[in-house]
Amino acid sequence: MATSATAAIAAAEAAYRAARTRTLWRRRLLPVAGVVAFLLAWAGLVHFLEVPPFVAPSPVAVVATLVAKFDMLMRNLWVTAVESVLGFLLGNFAAIAIATVFVHKKSAEEALFPVVVLINTVPVVAKAPILVLLLGNGMEPKIAIAALICFFPTLVNMVRGLESVNPQAMELMRVLSASQREIFFKLRLLNSLPYLFSALKIAASTAVIGAIVGEWIGSTVGIGALIIQSTYNFDTALLYATVAVGSTFSVLFFLAISLIERLVVRWNAPSSV
Amino acid sequence: MDASSHPEAAANTAGAAAPAVVCTDLSVRFVTDRRTVTALEGVSFDIAKGAFLSLLGPSGCGKSTLLRVVADLIPFAEGKCTVLGGAPEKARRDRALGFVFQDSALLPWRSAIDNVALPLEVGGARKLAGPSPRELLRLVGLEGWENAYPHELSGGMRQRVAIARALLGAPQILLMDEPFGALDEITRDRLNEELLRIWQETKTTILFVTHSIYEAAFLSQRVLVLAANPGRVRAMVDVDLPAERTLAMRDTERFVRVAAQLRQLLGG
Repeated sequence: MATSATAAIAAAEAAYRAARTRTLWRRRLLPVAGVVAFLLAWAGLVHFLEVPPFVAPSPVAVVATLVAKFDMLMRNLWVTAVESVLGFLLGNFAAIAIATVFVHKKSAEEALFPVVVLINTVPVVAKAPILVLLLGNGMEPKIAIAALICFFPTLVNMVRGLESVNPQAMELMRVLSASQREIFFKLRLLNSLPYLFSALKIAASTAVIGAIVGEWIGSTVGIGALIIQSTYNFDTALLYATVAVGSTFSVLFFLAISLIERLVVRWNAPSSV
Repeated sequence: MDASSHPEAAANTAGAAAPAVVCTDLSVRFVTDRRTVTALEGVSFDIAKGAFLSLLGPSGCGKSTLLRVVADLIPFAEGKCTVLGGAPEKARRDRALGFVFQDSALLPWRSAIDNVALPLEVGGARKLAGPSPRELLRLVGLEGWENAYPHELSGGMRQRVAIARALLGAPQILLMDEPFGALDEITRDRLNEELLRIWQETKTTILFVTHSIYEAAFLSQRVLVLAANPGRVRAMVDVDLPAERTLAMRDTERFVRVAAQLRQLLGG
């Protein structure tokens, strides 16, 4: 009896391990297969429908351009990267600071929140020329646009994270006669981190978009400027290569924030009570 | 086992010293846009130092409100409430109160031991009397779990951590708001026994809110039975059971009689 049970358990464990290995491989291989299939379909369509190169390039031409103009692409990416990272830092720091004020001064929130919503309703493409006129033609307006685009989601999430503290934990702090400062640093701030990081992950990709849109209006360097130039020159291979570089940077920025989140938020995200 | 409708019953139990908590004609009202709710009306009771008193009643009878008045979390409209001879606020500032919530209210980013140590870090961090966080975790039976995070602990274990945290600084009064209400019955039984052991070891005064008749009868020396709408005292019951309590005792006729009496008071 005992031996047959042990054998059955061993068999079940072996079957489970085999199934898990299969799942793991499937999870690794399927995304790769999807991307390869997409590239093949793209190359096939361009080839068989005889799409002229100024309408859409073949992936081979895009890769060739990526290799040939790598230095030039990186020089332009550097500018966009600096703008978006600085904008990201500026916008999020401002959002966190203002969220902190809002949580402690309700009257400030009531007075200023409508203004914030109003600014947020102006589309990025409309904000860009206004800021270029205000801040000139250098990096400043791009940083400002990237910052503005990050600002709103972070503000809203941060206010929510700071406020959605477990009411019993708040009562506990009161029983312990904790000061406002202690409640903020020991309870609210840490409570807000999961909320903050979901906003930061959105901001990581939107900051890059903001910088690029800023570069569309009167700029000679950067991914955005390169997109405009290559479009006007019907250099589609360069256009696609530029877009690929910009997207790759966005993804890496997002992954960096996700990694930091995993290092900082080590506890389970609190279930929304 | 006589149900006396207060306040004469107060004097005859445990000790000649001044009581830990005295409330006289206490009323609490919550004013909202639509109406004013009277949560408590004319509530009087007291609890002797070192005693175990349960507040038993249906939901809406204000038993949690009463506990929060003692903890200085809710202001009262009328009457008098004296905690350890002074205002509730003084007792809170002196760290004479420990509070255990229904939801353990542990901070998810802190390990068990850091959660227990929280009272040392806030409210004008001071050297607190009594056992260390590590000793308290041992007292509640969580030795070896110091570095576990709340999400790694079961509901019962989380409540044990919450009790250890409330006991830091050796508070004279432990206020418990349905601490085992969200637990399964088997875990609740075990924690009930543990709580009695902890009470005997720490000699603290316990004010315990529950809506379980059996829990109230099993744990308490006296039970304050409350009625709802508005919250008011129905009776103060002396639990006529031996000081030494075991779970098996709940099947005895004496226990069943106490429970029946409490149920009758709740229903009547």
